[in-house]
Amino acid sequence: MENPTTRAHYMLFFRNTGPENYQHLSPEQRQEVVTRWNDWFEGLLAQGKALEGQPLEMEARLVSGPGGSRVTDGPFIEGKEAIAGYVTLLVGGIDEAVEIARRHPGLAFGMKIEVRQMTPDCHLGVNTRARGRSTQEVSAG
Amino acid sequence: MADDAPTPSPPATPAGLVEHFFRHETGRLHGALVRLLGVHNLSLAEDVAQEAMLRAMRHWSMGGVPPNPSAWITRVAMNLAKDALRHQRMSGAKETDLVTHFEITAPTPAIAVENSQAIRDDALRLLFMCCHPSIAPDAQVVLALKILCGFSTAEIARAFLSSEAAIEKQLTRTKQRIADAGLGCEIPEGEDLAPRLDGVLGTLYLLFNEGYKASAGERLLREELCEEAVRLTSLLVSHPAGRTPRAHALLALMLLTASRFPSRLDAQGDLLRLDEQDRSKWDRALIERGLLQLGEAAQGNELSEYHLQAGIAAIHCTAPDAAATDWVRILRHYDELNRLKPSPVVALNRAVAVANVHGTQAALDAIAAIPDRARLESNYLLHAVLGELHWRARQHREAAASYRQALKLAQVGPEQLYLSRMLERSLQEKQQGPRAAAG
Repeated sequence: MENPTTRAHYMLFFRNTGPENYQHLSPEQRQEVVTRWNDWFEGLLAQGKALEGQPLEMEARLVSGPGGSRVTDGPFIEGKEAIAGYVTLLVGGIDEAVEIARRHPGLAFGMKIEVRQMTPDCHLGVNTRARGRSTQEVSAG
Repeated sequence: MADDAPTPSPPATPAGLVEHFFRHETGRLHGALVRLLGVHNLSLAEDVAQEAMLRAMRHWSMGGVPPNPSAWITRVAMNLAKDALRHQRMSGAKETDLVTHFEITAPTPAIAVENSQAIRDDALRLLFMCCHPSIAPDAQVVLALKILCGFSTAEIARAFLSSEAAIEKQLTRTKQRIADAGLGCEIPEGEDLAPRLDGVLGTLYLLFNEGYKASAGERLLREELCEEAVRLTSLLVSHPAGRTPRAHALLALMLLTASRFPSRLDAQGDLLRLDEQDRSKWDRALIERGLLQLGEAAQGNELSEYHLQAGIAAIHCTAPDAAATDWVRILRHYDELNRLKPSPVVALNRAVAVANVHGTQAALDAIAAIPDRARLESNYLLHAVLGELHWRARQHREAAASYRQALKLAQVGPEQLYLSRMLERSLQEKQQGPRAAAG
């Protein structure tokens, strides 16, 4: 196991996980996807490699323009590109983060995972806050 | 997060899903939704259940399974149904019902407890609808699997060796029939009950047999058909309307038959005859339950074909080994069955008992005397039984011929393996035996 000081935070963004990917599955197959997906995440949590994860509602607002003059109902260039959820990892590097992403059971059904490092020196202090969140708040309903 | 998720899940221990949760939940939702939306909205109910399932899948994949998944999904489904109804601009009365129901069931997790009886009754109403005499028996089974058991069209197609398109077409036709005939969705009462209950039992028996006959398709999937038949029959006898001796007898028959599933195949997937099976693998718990149901079935003086078949299964299940099987009693049961419900298949099974009581020649004579024998010619079982009888009579050439014919008729799967094994055995004997020169 790596020295904690060499580990960094990564975010996995899940895209293209819409119902059309799962519509054709039988209830049994759906249950299997849910179970394997949760096993993937629980396994990472248990190893301390995942910190949190959460689905996002598909309903969205897009705010733009000076002073937020334009608020629209989540017009994504393409629905498939919308982020459906995310997972935060604390791992040794981007290669490990990619390896973890590659084991995701949702990939078999067209899901795409974007892997991004959360930069530690962000002036907004994203990293500090992410680290500060206890696992108690993590799991989504 | 939207009000989709009534309770935040505790993070430390994510709830798991019981086996077949999605499948059975689909059936349960159909029951509740049809009650609220009416039979004429059966397809809408299916769509709503589908959508609720997909939402559950999305949320639970990324957010973990909530502590009461059933309540979660019911709430989502009721919201969707409300929206769908609003969309349809249906009568105000219907909508009020729905809103009332929604408000009663939504807020507390107690819903699961409060509703266990309602869930059962919803399912039974659907069962009676699926088994309505105006629907053909095969179509009843398919509809029940789809609506009540939550099987996908693809799964049904695989189980019945049919195509998805064919099953889809049949389902559409059946639903159209339900709509045209204006079938209701209720548990029949009074003098309507007995004949309708008979229809339901017949369909459940068919469903079980579909899973039991190892003739084709995926074995695991087929055993699940039996599981479903047991589940629905158990549900039926838990309701006053379904608590009849013959319903108990049917359940006994299913349980006792299912108890032998673990020993039906050997490690290579080869089919084993009853006398070859490892009886220590039989499911004792199922046998106990089966015998208990048989006891329930004996209350009253009714004797149905289910009683007799369950009785035969019980004799097999309680024999310590194959040699100790009480074939005399089994033969008596078959005699009775042949009087009560004569059929070529019953007569063929009876012949097997005859062989064990009176010898092979008597059995061959009994088969020759089956009145409707022609109807059996295309059934591989006739030829498999003949093969066995000829083999026992040391008529190896005839045995080989019969097994060859059986093999031609048997569909893919363990049966073919078994028959090939038997054919080989006959051929070897034929070569070694005194008749070798003639062959």
